[in-house]
Amino acid sequence: MRKSQPNVRRVSRRRFLARGGLVLGGALGLRIFPTASYGATQRSGRIVAAVSERMLVLDPADHYSISATSVLRHIFDPLIDVTNDHKFTPALAESWEAINNSTWRFTLRKGVTFHDGTPFNADSVLYTLRRVRDNTKLIKAFVYQDLDAIEKDGEYGVTVTTKRPFGSLPAHLTMLGMLPPGAAGREDSFFQRPVGTGPFQFAGWTRGEVVNLAANPHYWKSGIPRVARVSFRFIPELSTRAAGLRSGEFHVIDRVPPDMAQTLKASPGVKVQSLLGLEVQQWLFQLAKAPNDNLQLRKAISLGIDRSAIIKDLLLSTARPAVCPIPPGLIGHVNLGVKPYDPEKAKALLRDAGYQGQPLEFVLMKDLYPKQLEIAQAVESMLRDVGVRFEIRNLEIATARQLRSAGKYDMFFSGWAHLPHDPDWYFGQWFTKAGAVGLSRYYNPKVEQLIAEARLPDPRIRAQRYEELQRILWTEEEPTIWPYYSQAIYGVRDTVRGYEARADYYVLLSDVSVS
Amino acid sequence: MARYLRRRLAHSLLTLLGVSVLVFVILRVMPGDPAKMLLPEGAPESAVEELDRQLGLHRPLPVQYLIFVRDVFQGDFGQSFQYKAPALQVVLERVPATVDLTIAAMVLIVAAGGPIGILAAVRPGTRYEYGGMVFAVLGQSLPNFWLGIMLILLFGVALRWLPTSGFEGWRFLILPSVTLAAYPTALVARLTSSSMLDVLGTDYIRTARSKGLANLIVILRHALKNAVIPVLTVVGLQIGALLSGAVVTESVFAWPGVGKLIVDAIFSRDFPVVQTVLTLSAATFVGINFLVDVLYTLIDPRIRYA
Repeated sequence: MRKSQPNVRRVSRRRFLARGGLVLGGALGLRIFPTASYGATQRSGRIVAAVSERMLVLDPADHYSISATSVLRHIFDPLIDVTNDHKFTPALAESWEAINNSTWRFTLRKGVTFHDGTPFNADSVLYTLRRVRDNTKLIKAFVYQDLDAIEKDGEYGVTVTTKRPFGSLPAHLTMLGMLPPGAAGREDSFFQRPVGTGPFQFAGWTRGEVVNLAANPHYWKSGIPRVARVSFRFIPELSTRAAGLRSGEFHVIDRVPPDMAQTLKASPGVKVQSLLGLEVQQWLFQLAKAPNDNLQLRKAISLGIDRSAIIKDLLLSTARPAVCPIPPGLIGHVNLGVKPYDPEKAKALLRDAGYQGQPLEFVLMKDLYPKQLEIAQAVESMLRDVGVRFEIRNLEIATARQLRSAGKYDMFFSGWAHLPHDPDWYFGQWFTKAGAVGLSRYYNPKVEQLIAEARLPDPRIRAQRYEELQRILWTEEEPTIWPYYSQAIYGVRDTVRGYEARADYYVLLSDVSVS
Repeated sequence: MARYLRRRLAHSLLTLLGVSVLVFVILRVMPGDPAKMLLPEGAPESAVEELDRQLGLHRPLPVQYLIFVRDVFQGDFGQSFQYKAPALQVVLERVPATVDLTIAAMVLIVAAGGPIGILAAVRPGTRYEYGGMVFAVLGQSLPNFWLGIMLILLFGVALRWLPTSGFEGWRFLILPSVTLAAYPTALVARLTSSSMLDVLGTDYIRTARSKGLANLIVILRHALKNAVIPVLTVVGLQIGALLSGAVVTESVFAWPGVGKLIVDAIFSRDFPVVQTVLTLSAATFVGINFLVDVLYTLIDPRIRYA
């Protein structure tokens, strides 16, 4: 006899599976379809740029990322702008002057408003500068520790005194967007939806993936911006960036390495724009360790490296041999001559140096610079020919940096982009005792003195001091090999009008339109 | 039974505790300082020390761990070092993309792998079998990143039928899910085929045929039912692998999933994000295991009274 069934509707397995499938499919569809319309919107008046580095924060004082600087330059204006030929031009400051060696005065632009209608004035500058000086959790705080008093000088004037001369202050200010004073005390929520005075307003983002911006109709520069919307996508994978450009989904991509540039040049509808960038390659010697502390050995290594072969064969002529540590165009650049390639002389010097053939470690930060492994292998092979043994260690970035701090390397593959368009930061960190203690262990009181003097606001004095200290580094001491200056290479759709490849690797789109 | 469950619960909690200690210690003994990864190269040591202090990394390790555990019990997984936002929020924002990709790939695996395997098994020696096996070999041997890039170049760049990357609608899901599904689909096809071949040779199938049942009914109703069991086990295991192992696919298609997030977080020493992902996944696995144990006790009396 069958037991009586309780009053429950039986669901057959088959029906259960069918319904389950529907629910699953439905869930998938519901998640996807509402956003489908966004992807389908027409592109006219919208520029999509795909940049290589992920932007993770929306606070202009809390990063030193090139992509974040690019994006935030559209939302926030700095006090001072910088052109591609390294001229400092007025932005929110109409003018600025060094009153004495440690006082700067800024005269601010009138009639500028933030996206929420708040007027821009001295209070904004006071809040922004005091915040970046006092909140040491901010990544940029360490640069601004030299600021002392930041005072209002009328509604549209600000005076900044510094603890020591700070000649590169205007250069650093090109990288610091001005904030509305109303953000004070509510920074967490403010930077979820930031408000600036820039040519575009923040419209939304997916953290680390995409930022959408909409034109600011009340921008103070007439005729700017030229498009209604801009999107920045963050795509570290080069082949994906390049495919998106070739398919027409992206209008601009950055950080194109030399061989991809060849591919893009051959792609219809795509052009390649490039110019000499702000980056100099530098291969650091560990100077506190034998045998690198031997000047003869360092000179021999320098003579054993054929820079022009590396540039021509591996970098496909997208770099220029260095003639001094500071790249062309920046204050202090001087032609001290390309370092020669002379294997015979290198061998002779090596004999004098007393080098016993012990292997030296050449440490690389994995995948950081284009072609770095091939270049390191070429260097290793060139130096083997003159009698120096190098072992390449291609390490994950954090591990490589840890080794560098601990001084456990002989030569370290690195580069430096002079992002503020000024060399003060570079020399101050890499060639002073306090800075170099975790890097190359370089110390020369004379060079330290020249670096301090080059912080004076007078550009003539600065240029002269930089020349003098570079002569010591380049010709006398050779604590580092500066092999070449790199190009900044961009891929651009041919529908884009007015795009300018930037030496500082930024992607700036305010003055750009699409046809 | 209550004693058994209490014991299982205690085991689960101990496992979680063990995972959290392990993750915490491994991250901190890895070479590399988070503050140095955040600051530009050559930032002064004083700035590094100050940032270490701000991030709480100057405290002794046991103290850091106790603070972490205390905060986790309050639902606070800490601030991400690089995203400057709550780590839990950063991770949860990525979950939907990962789930979408996993579901889409699973649908493909089952919808394609099964039929290919069956066809290859029931038509031995024909082009169906050879075709199926070529697919299985290719699917299992083509590297993910290569396949992804080839699909992008073909369907995105040359034909322009599909977007090359991104996460804005269902069309964006096709190429990544095909790329992700290629290997497991091939695996499932091969397994289904060999399992079907075993079953098709058994007596009960011969009996079914001799009863005069239609071939399709024999295959689908009688053979498949038994052949599918080992396949289901593998499919189940693949879900876990897909959820965590989509790093390459996510990179190639700029897909904002959890896999890439955790790899980036490890490289940049973003401890809170790594800890959040690993703690949550451990908690999920431990939780599911515990539930399964509870279910066993309900189903199998031998466990209940043991």
